[in-house]
Amino acid sequence: MATSAESSAAAPVNWPAVVAWTLLATTAVLLSFGALVTTYDAAMAVPDWPGTFGHNMLLFPFAEWFWGPWDLFLEHGHRLLGATVGMLTLLLAAIVFSGRSSPTLRWLVAAAVVLVVVQGALGGLRVILDDKTVAKVHACTGPLFFAVATAIASIASRRGRGADRAADRPSHDPAREVAAPPPPSWALGAAVPTVLLVAAYLQLVAGAQLRHADATLAPTTFRWMVILHLLGAAAVTVLAALAVVAWQPHEPPAARRWSRVILALVVCQSLLGAGAWVFTWGAPAWIQEAWPVAEAIRARSPRGAMVVTAHVLVGMAILGSAVAMALEWGGMERLERLVGAAPRGRSAPPRAAAGAVGRVA
Amino acid sequence: MPTNPTLTATSLRAASMRPLQSCLLALVVAATTGCGATPPAWFRSNMVEATKQKLTPDQERQVATVLLAMFGTPDDPVAPPETGLDVAKLQLAAGPVRSDIVGRKNGLYREHCAHCHGVTGDALGPTAAFLNPYPRDYRPGVFKFKSTERADKPTHADLVRILENGIPGTSMPSFALLSETQVDALVEYVKYLSIRGETEINLMRAFFELDDEAEGKLPETREFLVGEVLEPVAEKWKAAADALIPVPEIPADLDLEASIAKGRELFYGDKANCVKCHGPTGLGDGQANDYDDWNKSIVEWKKELGGADDASWLSRAKQVLTGDALEPRTIPPRNLRMGIYRGGRRPIDIYYRVHAGINGAPMPAAKGTISPEDIWHIVNYVRSLPYTLDGELGADRPALVRDRF
Ligand code: HEC
Ligand code: HEC
Repeated sequence: MATSAESSAAAPVNWPAVVAWTLLATTAVLLSFGALVTTYDAAMAVPDWPGTFGHNMLLFPFAEWFWGPWDLFLEHGHRLLGATVGMLTLLLAAIVFSGRSSPTLRWLVAAAVVLVVVQGALGGLRVILDDKTVAKVHACTGPLFFAVATAIASIASRRGRGADRAADRPSHDPAREVAAPPPPSWALGAAVPTVLLVAAYLQLVAGAQLRHADATLAPTTFRWMVILHLLGAAAVTVLAALAVVAWQPHEPPAARRWSRVILALVVCQSLLGAGAWVFTWGAPAWIQEAWPVAEAIRARSPRGAMVVTAHVLVGMAILGSAVAMALEWGGMERLERLVGAAPRGRSAPPRAAAGAVGRVA
Repeated sequence: MPTNPTLTATSLRAASMRPLQSCLLALVVAATTGCGATPPAWFRSNMVEATKQKLTPDQERQVATVLLAMFGTPDDPVAPPETGLDVAKLQLAAGPVRSDIVGRKNGLYREHCAHCHGVTGDALGPTAAFLNPYPRDYRPGVFKFKSTERADKPTHADLVRILENGIPGTSMPSFALLSETQVDALVEYVKYLSIRGETEINLMRAFFELDDEAEGKLPETREFLVGEVLEPVAEKWKAAADALIPVPEIPADLDLEASIAKGRELFYGDKANCVKCHGPTGLGDGQANDYDDWNKSIVEWKKELGGADDASWLSRAKQVLTGDALEPRTIPPRNLRMGIYRGGRRPIDIYYRVHAGINGAPMPAAKGTISPEDIWHIVNYVRSLPYTLDGELGADRPALVRDRF
């Protein structure tokens, strides 16, 4: 992103972007470990928190962790990655608040700091209380942090060409920087990215409720939850398809690219969802009639665990892509407006407020 | 909770994302209302039986108290000595999922089974409504796939086999990837839940036989509670090992083709009459509208309710039917051409199935009407079915693989 001619000359390193992308990548690994912890029911592999078996978490003997039981490997690994992500977020905050970053970026980083602290505390509470409800909330905050981290990485990269506000904009098309992009004429179309974003997140929320369902939950309640999750999947699929097919003319080019990525991911995700079903409950009778398999599904098979976990992670990827698409499709402007409109002095950080004033002028 | 509500409220506006808002709000709510530690798990009462027996709330409490004293709780199981259950194994399987200091997983039942079979073993786990057939309700103490006579309990080894192989063609998975110790502990726990469930049913039915002097109270004597209620159940489990179905050797000079032909004759014949259910083609398209025992008891109870005149009891019964029972499902006779054998595909497994029938299911026992030699012929015929199209043997039947098996 920072390779355009004007920036290559004296290109100062865009530290916010470097740290933001590192944060995003580490978060992806962190989420993978988190998803695996749930898949393998490994959350209580370590009985205490914030320590690990009485040790300072960071000083827990490496060999005992790395070569230890699988559950311990996952849970302690998840904790170490969580600590890393926490520190990266603080580092990013330090950089963003000491440099000349945009108010939007600052607000997002501030949100990330809050979220990462809350998320860490929730993870700890889940262990200390051994509580499934906390586990569910923890599983909903995770993707939220990922969404914010995605937005940060996306926006921070746009700062590559200096601090002028035009570069804050999603589009690198000079023609579009002069005149603000015309709002999509079709009102419904303009709402697509937001609706898709919310739907993708709600699907992760619903999935988390299914994965953490308490063993005492009534079968009829669970059935409704599954039906909702399937309806949600249909909604996301339709929205993604519409974004690719029907609303193409209204979309900024970059958003168009993202909508295609989302549709591809959604197709994968449906297959993974069907796979998760089969690996958990076996194939339904009508499939077995046509395609008999003489062996029962193996509980905890690596293949099954991979499919189920991948279903969670592709869900995150869809959410991340939806964030990216929304930013390209009017979301950036909306964010800026919101930050700029925030009452000065009360909620906006000082520099951000100054920036907002400059912008209005 | 480390979150400061005002800080959160401010950052809400900042981030301007609705999901973020709602989730943080949820957090604040959780922080202020306080999320306590998970409450201990409880066994659920057998409401269907209690309602059928028209127990009063007080009588239900009596049953629950006796069961609590005898069997403990899902987190803290007690093994009554009469059952011969190993409490160390039960502890490994019981309780919430967690690892101990050496990394050994505890709470195996809740990790691997409870979401289908329910914490109580009542087959009312969250996923149960999706499954066809429904998961096994252990409480009546009836099991389908075993090496013992129809009315007897399965042996320990039978249950181990079920866990290792799973039940192909159903949702019951194979737990072959668990260690032997883990499977062993889980089997012990299944027996525990089953004995507990059957004891509960016996207790609930005992009220019916009380005389007027008892004033609706069960005798609290050891003689009654252990001698009359618990022990008969426990004894049946202990006797399983001696109730094995005798299986005659297959003659070494058996002519397979001739045996299959004989088996076919029997299959269609009047005595075995397998066609009645499995259909003339073996596709399972005979009489297909029957239920297994678990579903049948609900179907029949629903019919009985039609004649009930006690309105308040009726409304309670309807509530129980929606909350504590699933919509009854028929069990179609097996399509014998698919080559899927739920109880195992070794010849001896099919021998057991034909000899003793399938306990709890409409499939009848051939024992008594058909000689053991003839049962072997039927088994050979059944095993040939997946490889032929019309019930006649094709010249190119791929028999070698299963002959070696
Ligand atoms: C995905 C759902 C599912 C899970 C998980 C599951 N089961 Fe089952 N189980 C079933 C179903 C369905 C049946 C009934 C099959 C039938 O009736 O043919 C069954 C049947 C059984 C039976 C009865 C076999 C017989 O001979 O009648 C036993 C015992 C059993 N399960 C034990 C377990 C144990 C122990 C676990 C955990 C280690 C477990 N199951 C996990 C679905 C499940
Ligand atoms: C009254 C109906 C009925 C009759 C008669 C009957 N079956 Fe069945 N059979 C069933 C049903 C129902 C099942 C499925 C039971 C279940 O899965 O719980 C079944 C299952 C089977 C299975 C599958 C076992 C497994 O492990 O999956 C075999 C094999 C079988 N029957 C063979 C026979 C043979 C041989 C005869 C004749 C001797 C026979 N059946 C007679 C109803 C019947």
